[in-house]
Amino acid sequence: MDSFTYVNIFETKGLEYLLLLSFWVLFAYLIRYLSPSVEKRKDSHK
Amino acid sequence: MNNNVAVVGSFGQFYKFLLQELKPRGPWLTPFNIISIPVILTGLVILYFRFVYGLGSVTNLSQETAWGLWLGFDVITGVALAGGAYVITFVVYVMKVEKYQSIVRITVLNGFLAYAFYGGALLLDVGRPWNGLNPYIGNSFGFSSVLFLICWHFLLYMFAQFLEFSPVIAEWLHWEKAQRILKKLTLGTVILGITLSILHQSGLGALFLMAKPKIHPLWWSEFMPILFFVSSIYAGLAMIIFEGTISHRVFKALINPKSHHSFDDMVFGLAKGAAITMFVYYFFKALLFIHDKQWDMINDGWGYWYLVEVIGFVLIPALMFAFGFRNRSLKIIKVASVMALFGVILNRLNVSVITFNWFADVHYYPSWQEIVVTLMVIFAEVWVFRWVVTRMPVFSSNH
Repeated sequence: MDSFTYVNIFETKGLEYLLLLSFWVLFAYLIRYLSPSVEKRKDSHK
Repeated sequence: MNNNVAVVGSFGQFYKFLLQELKPRGPWLTPFNIISIPVILTGLVILYFRFVYGLGSVTNLSQETAWGLWLGFDVITGVALAGGAYVITFVVYVMKVEKYQSIVRITVLNGFLAYAFYGGALLLDVGRPWNGLNPYIGNSFGFSSVLFLICWHFLLYMFAQFLEFSPVIAEWLHWEKAQRILKKLTLGTVILGITLSILHQSGLGALFLMAKPKIHPLWWSEFMPILFFVSSIYAGLAMIIFEGTISHRVFKALINPKSHHSFDDMVFGLAKGAAITMFVYYFFKALLFIHDKQWDMINDGWGYWYLVEVIGFVLIPALMFAFGFRNRSLKIIKVASVMALFGVILNRLNVSVITFNWFADVHYYPSWQEIVVTLMVIFAEVWVFRWVVTRMPVFSSNH
């Protein structure tokens, strides 16, 4: 039976990938947060 | 601004006009004058001793610490804070966002003066200032040196900024034909200026690449050129907000009420740009921190100091910019701009002065003379800025 091998998240750069993924998720959220809502845009055009 | 002179055509007229414009205007006993005049005079006396008796007579510099406050603040930090000029000209002339047109002149003037004074302050700090000409005249060209690039870029960028600002000077002198010709050069000059800026903002970071053994690992990275470039974008945006807010108060009489209102609107746009850039910069820092496996370094004084810089003066102001933009709060945005500026100053000083030789037993700290001369340079720039703004059509155009 194969023994269990511990994968170090630091050695595999797993943490870096996780950070990058979280960056893109948060970046998308930030852009949405900073974009005026559809209602506001409609109001400003009126 | 003087509109009395019809056309400054002949040399005699030009001379008379210039003499008239050089005369001081407004009250002399203002708080700024009372503080700045003694500082400038003291600074000049200190500079006399610096040039007669050498750097050692007025600075705490040594063979181990050759770069101090004059380089760290004036050159390395000042250039980052002048980043607003290339950002705003890119937005207005290349991206064609006309909304920011009214702040182009003041921002370019700021950028030009910052380079002239802070870049000029480099001559105070080098042991043999007359050798400063060498990179330009071909004597001992150091092609492989980052400083060679920076020297040329500083000079060319100052010319580019002067050309970008020259239509204002032509308008001030009522040289209409010259103004028309100079305006046609603007787009080309702007593109040249942006290219030079991007390269030397990152070049200043590249300058420290070779100092790996001397800079604390939390601040040194092979990606320093990118970090310097990205941080110069939000430093420039924060500086425009900060300087614009002060200018709109101090020079209120020179600005029409419409511009006051539109400036508030511009501040929101600048805050949005700053929030996004700071967010990207923060993740760059976080990624480098993890990539370089620096967890062990965070649990001491230097580590806490690093967290103060990165969280306190990057992440928090970034969130404040975003929150201020979303909730239309000028107050929050203005506080965030001051914090962002402080963060950039802290970062540049950390790299060039504070963590430089961090392992040494004896640390460098600036002498009072170095602080006075630094203040002198800042005040002298503000004096020239004030003179230009109160005479030339910087806030408004007649054409």
